[in-house]
Amino acid sequence: MNGKKIKEIALERIERLFNLAIEMLHERPDLAQKYVENARKIAMRARIKLPREKRLLICKHCKRFIFPGVSSRVRIQLRREPHMIITCLYCGGHMRRPLRKRST
Amino acid sequence: MRNLSHILQDELIGLRVKVVKSSNPSCIGLSGKIIDETKNTFKILHNGDEKILIKKDCVFHFTLPDKTVIEVNGKVLIGRPEDRVKKIIRRRW
Repeated sequence: MNGKKIKEIALERIERLFNLAIEMLHERPDLAQKYVENARKIAMRARIKLPREKRLLICKHCKRFIFPGVSSRVRIQLRREPHMIITCLYCGGHMRRPLRKRST
Repeated sequence: MRNLSHILQDELIGLRVKVVKSSNPSCIGLSGKIIDETKNTFKILHNGDEKILIKKDCVFHFTLPDKTVIEVNGKVLIGRPEDRVKKIIRRRW
């Protein structure tokens, strides 16, 4: 029961830290980076996964906070397996995420 | 109500804080938004300039997002922000 509570609290803290980081993105990029690092550490300590939409905001290679249009580029590749490519503009690394087909 | 009993485990960055008691007389009365936290200190934005407060010397008034004010002794807040997630609650304040 206690473990469950810790995970809930951790999720809430991560949510709040990411919101703050997005707010601070233009004024204080250094602080935004710090908040995201904190959020990752909290997730590791509480043994939870970062939510999917948050995971897209962290570079897989250099672990920095990347935001589409500011420090990352997002491109969609529809042919072959449909996927999107996120390029980190700090380290130049790519992350690929599959786009699943909608089953209608 | 959840916030009241979980302040020790909760996120403090972004909250408004006021120092009510301190062993360092020049810290008393400082207030502002917390912008950074380390194991032993807070960094706050007081009228546009950054101030560093030592946790163990001060008693704080925190304003939670829902406008309630609580008084917390800085001694119980010692610890890195990511370590405080797992802190056991003891009612001391």
